[in-house]
Amino acid sequence: MSGTSNLLSWILWMPIIGVLGILLIPSAKEKAIRVWSLINTVITLALSLVLYMKFDTTVPGMQQAFLIKKSWISQFNIFYHLGVDGISLPMILLTSLLFSICILSSWTIKKQVKAYFALLLFLQSTVFGVFMALDFFLFYVYWEVMLIPMFFLIGVWGGENREYAAVKFFLYTFFGSVLMLVGMVALYFVSGQGVDSFNILALSGGKFSNEVVNMFGYAFPFAKLFFVALFIGFAIKVPVFPFHTWLPHAHVQAPTAISVILAGVLLKMGTYGFLRIAFPIFPEASVYFSDAIAWLGLVNVIYGAFCAMAQTDVKKLVAYSSVSHMGFVMLGLAAMTVQGMNGAVLQMFNHGTSTAMMFLLIGILYERSHHRWIVRPDGTKGFGGLYTQLPKYSIVFIIAMFASMGLPGLSGFISEALIFLGIYERFTTITVIGVIGLLIGAAYLLWMFKRMFFGDVVEECKEYTDMNAREIFYMIPLCVAVIFFGIFPAPILNIMKASVGQLVSLLAKY
Amino acid sequence: MALSYLANISRYIPELILCFTMVGLILIEATYGDKEKGSSKGYLFGFAFIGLLSSLVYLVQALPMAPVSLFTNAVVIDPFSTLAKIIMVLGTGFCIYLNKVSKDIYEDMKSEYTIIAVGVLIGGMLLASANNMLILYIGIETLSILSYVLASLKKHDSRSSEAGLKYVLYGGVSGGIMLFGMSHIFGMVGTIQFAELIHVLPTLDNSKLLILMPSFILFFAGIGYKISCVPFHMWTPDVYEGSPLPVTTFFSIVPKVAGIAALVRVSMTFFGSDSSVLQMSWVALLSVAAALTMTVGNVSAIGQRSVKRMLAYSSISHAGVMMLGVLVLSDIGVKAILFYGITYLFMTLVAFFVTSFVQDKYGNDHFERFNGLMSKHPVMAICMIVVMFSLAGLPPLSGFVAKFNILSAILSKKYYVLAIITVLNSVVSLYYYMKIVRLMVFKESESSEGIAGFSFTNQVIISALCIPVVVLGIFWDKIILLADGAKIFIK
Repeated sequence: MSGTSNLLSWILWMPIIGVLGILLIPSAKEKAIRVWSLINTVITLALSLVLYMKFDTTVPGMQQAFLIKKSWISQFNIFYHLGVDGISLPMILLTSLLFSICILSSWTIKKQVKAYFALLLFLQSTVFGVFMALDFFLFYVYWEVMLIPMFFLIGVWGGENREYAAVKFFLYTFFGSVLMLVGMVALYFVSGQGVDSFNILALSGGKFSNEVVNMFGYAFPFAKLFFVALFIGFAIKVPVFPFHTWLPHAHVQAPTAISVILAGVLLKMGTYGFLRIAFPIFPEASVYFSDAIAWLGLVNVIYGAFCAMAQTDVKKLVAYSSVSHMGFVMLGLAAMTVQGMNGAVLQMFNHGTSTAMMFLLIGILYERSHHRWIVRPDGTKGFGGLYTQLPKYSIVFIIAMFASMGLPGLSGFISEALIFLGIYERFTTITVIGVIGLLIGAAYLLWMFKRMFFGDVVEECKEYTDMNAREIFYMIPLCVAVIFFGIFPAPILNIMKASVGQLVSLLAKY
Repeated sequence: MALSYLANISRYIPELILCFTMVGLILIEATYGDKEKGSSKGYLFGFAFIGLLSSLVYLVQALPMAPVSLFTNAVVIDPFSTLAKIIMVLGTGFCIYLNKVSKDIYEDMKSEYTIIAVGVLIGGMLLASANNMLILYIGIETLSILSYVLASLKKHDSRSSEAGLKYVLYGGVSGGIMLFGMSHIFGMVGTIQFAELIHVLPTLDNSKLLILMPSFILFFAGIGYKISCVPFHMWTPDVYEGSPLPVTTFFSIVPKVAGIAALVRVSMTFFGSDSSVLQMSWVALLSVAAALTMTVGNVSAIGQRSVKRMLAYSSISHAGVMMLGVLVLSDIGVKAILFYGITYLFMTLVAFFVTSFVQDKYGNDHFERFNGLMSKHPVMAICMIVVMFSLAGLPPLSGFVAKFNILSAILSKKYYVLAIITVLNSVVSLYYYMKIVRLMVFKESESSEGIAGFSFTNQVIISALCIPVVVLGIFWDKIILLADGAKIFIK
């Protein structure tokens, strides 16, 4: 299939073409910049859909038709090596969908429009790079480069406390990734500096069980030590408790579109890192540490939920709910069973859509109210009776809320059910406590809804206008996705089934 | 005899050119009248640039040539030293340009700066090629004595004079200690030629090696002071801060590269071949020194108010990173150091150029002076951002690739703890590099007045210097091959 052989490169570089285009447009022509960015992301979305059409769901692992491998740095056997399998495809689809929507939702950005859209598109390319790279070095480069546009997007266009949030986000994630860098280079030498020493696929399969590291006179098992290094790197991104403290700040301070990207896509990069790198390369260490991962995941679920309940800022509430929901993904990963893993990957996708809706909706409200208090610091209500004032908005909000709560019939339910199915046999206690987490989740969302949408109408809420056509337009695809995959998750499950199965059977050997 | 002494003298042409350039510069300077402004001495600068350029051309075309030794084996010209010299010559050239346009150097001192800088360069080149203890000492002293003058060039400024005095005292003491160590080594092995030392060292038994160890530590003190490694770094921040900015720029490039080159040659010569007690102690010594240098440099840089002082501390930590490449004692380390040197040159130049023009405008270089640079001079701000992120080691910039090479060098020997220390230092350094980025982009400027120093020519030069920082981060295949080809020659 010669027609598809460069498809991944096209998807990866299309946003960069968009950036170059933006640089050519004079900064005064803001409309042109917005339209051009939209066109660009829609083309990328179309290309990803082509990728989806051409994808062969029966083949486990990387799809030969799309593989790209070109020499980059021959001295170190570093390759420009891209590929797609059932785990990365849903993420690529999610990325291209969310970025098109984010361009639409950023229509109201007034400050330095040119730089904003250029950085946003640049960010999109780096995210694609992470999800496509099969060369560890390339993966690392994209993983790190992504921090730069994020730093500026939060720092320039964010809320009042944006600088602090941007710096914290940057330093925290950089700390995680440098540990990964050491692991990566160590792997390169342990695997013999050969042609495949940066090749993620070739490194996979548990080849490093017998290596040891001599430090301070003790011999540490290589695999376990560097699994921990990679774990910290990825866990900061997810974020797993206790590495989550950057997230509420970054989320609250970031502009709407960036919160959407952060929660919808970037958090998934952490769990994707486990699936693509940490688990396949160190399977026996992963199994060894799976109990710990499960418990940490459980802490995420419960702690995140309680934190969410305590928030009076609605955006912070949703940010903590992300912590809680990513905990479910970690539980599914720790299960290391077919259902659990499938559930985890599905949850990555579903959380991407539902939490994106939540953040977009909060952004829409914020544009009208310019505050996000459920209860103001002085104890008065920030919002009230929105249901009567903004009927359309309320309907969409209800869909988003129930989806993220995991109500049957909406997307969150299927993935959480699969995760609990998968984890039940191995960790019965955790399952039982984890289900309580669902309950708390329902509690804080419903309580938030009650306080904001019911009750007496707060005076200033009377002036708010309902969603306009553009806002409704970009919410539709997400609503459709949330409802459709809630009833009929097969299209996504089919994509990932073969690849997830392969990973599970590798882990089952240990 | 005389003929064999002068054999291969043609390979010494780059240094000779510079010697003649220096003499010529003195003569040209004498022809100007007293009233002439320093920056308008066109012939002087023209002559300096021509000299540097022709030396550079010679060096570049000599790069692929086979290594030779000169002056009865006292000086060795190998691809390694040639590449190090290329870095130094380039650095000197740009520093002289900065001296010409900077306001931090008195007008009547600009020609002195040029002359002395060329002299320091000659010392540095000698140091990079030294294959004999005495030549090494002469190299270091040439470098140092002229540097003392440079440090106190701003003679009416008390801090500059203080810098010069501090530099003299430290330099004198450490030079003495080094000479003491050398004489001790000579007493033990009976030769000062590196070529002979290589053969003598493996024949010594352990008890003699143990006696030699302290003398090597004394010897290391001299070089360590030159590259400002902890604990011989105390002079650095004060000297760097007191000196005029073009001098600081010069100090953080030429003497540092020369010192590292000498350290590489000494380490590889004495300890590169066999694994003895001596080698293990040397590696241990260097590891501790490198780890301390990185950490102390970075941690001290955090609290600084002056950008120049921050850059001075950060240059200490970069020297520490380069030392990591030395302690690997193999070609992969040498390659990593050379690559690091090349990228470090460009990054440092851009950072100091931008800082210099900002300082010229406001009279000081406090961090707040960078506020809102993005809105006033976007191109310069972007260059500065690129360089700051590159210095911190973020991909896809060349600073990352340089750090990656150093990391791979130390991990090839499985020094995991050092690797962890290195990357954690990278995180610390990101904090203070990011501070400048933050101020430039997120903060509002105090006044909308532009900075005059950023004329079109200067912007073009800074942008051009910035290009390698980006390009070497993505397409570093060729340069790493070049660095790999620049093997060190030990005989």
